[in-house]
Amino acid sequence: MKRLRNFFQKDSCQSADVARERLKVMISQDRMQRNQPDFLPRLQRELVEVIRRYTQSEQDEIQVSYHSLPQRSQIELNVSWPRNLP
Amino acid sequence: MAKVVVVTSGKGGVGKTTSCASIGTALAMQGHRTVLIDFDVGLRNLDLVMGCERRVVYDLINVTTGEAKLSQALIKDKRLDGLFMLPASQTRDKDALTYEGVGDVIDALKEEFDFIICDSPAGIERGAVMAMYYADEAIVVSNPEVSSVRDSDRIIGLLDSKTRRAEQGESVKAHLLITRYDPERVEHSDMMSVQDIEEILAIPVVGVIPESPAVLRASNQGIPVVHDSDSDAGQAYSDTVARFLGEELPMRFTELERKGLFSRMFGGRR
Repeated sequence: MKRLRNFFQKDSCQSADVARERLKVMISQDRMQRNQPDFLPRLQRELVEVIRRYTQSEQDEIQVSYHSLPQRSQIELNVSWPRNLP
Repeated sequence: MAKVVVVTSGKGGVGKTTSCASIGTALAMQGHRTVLIDFDVGLRNLDLVMGCERRVVYDLINVTTGEAKLSQALIKDKRLDGLFMLPASQTRDKDALTYEGVGDVIDALKEEFDFIICDSPAGIERGAVMAMYYADEAIVVSNPEVSSVRDSDRIIGLLDSKTRRAEQGESVKAHLLITRYDPERVEHSDMMSVQDIEEILAIPVVGVIPESPAVLRASNQGIPVVHDSDSDAGQAYSDTVARFLGEELPMRFTELERKGLFSRMFGGRR
């Protein structure tokens, strides 16, 4: 009986595959954060605050992304906001 | 030229100390003068696994502070010539270790030994960074389990940034040692395979140690499992060290053994 159950469960529940995929996502996030400067979260928060004062953007309309290039670091700022059509 | 090797993992309980004891023992068996240093201040255990706990008089901190000479603190292995260990302090607080002090001890040991193996404490705090700081190479111990693999990746990040070699623009050569591997569970897709872990961590595998009753039996007795040359784990550690020294050997104990009817009926587990 147990064998029969295992046979049917095999495709739906391969926990090692789940582990591998979850780890890949986690570790790529960890690695990205590892290289970021410590001040980045604060800078990000302050930038968002200042921008929203002018544009009334929603939180998700302001994106700050960090890039680490061989010689220098870079942040990219993407802001959008709804236009008040006349 | 003496080589400093750190055995590290991030996560606790994955087999750093067990591995350290067997790797050091196997190096000494091959005729390399080897010293093991326990960096786990307050949680000293390497002496217990090596079976020399009753002979500890002085420790690493006593040496760095000048309370004892290095020669007084080194404990000679009772089974092998050319194998010594330097215990951690069980009582002192862990801030008593300084980078300068440890650097002086390692420089002095380099005069006498071929390999200096540093047994790191768990975690990513000062103690773990101290253990890896002077390393030329690292053995990263990982279990085939998500939290252990993730922590190993953190440790690899520290090896790339917080070591003396990293500060000098060089790199610490990292080797992956997978412990508690169970081919049967891998076969059933309930455990990540060697290939999965190697791909995620992106460092070469130096050895795979199977889950084995011989490991606990060995630590119970204070005899590094590599002495048990009949056991799968003992042989896997010998292979690991041979690979570490540059030999090319195929991995053993990573595939499920197809048991015949006969051994299923009569073959017990070793």
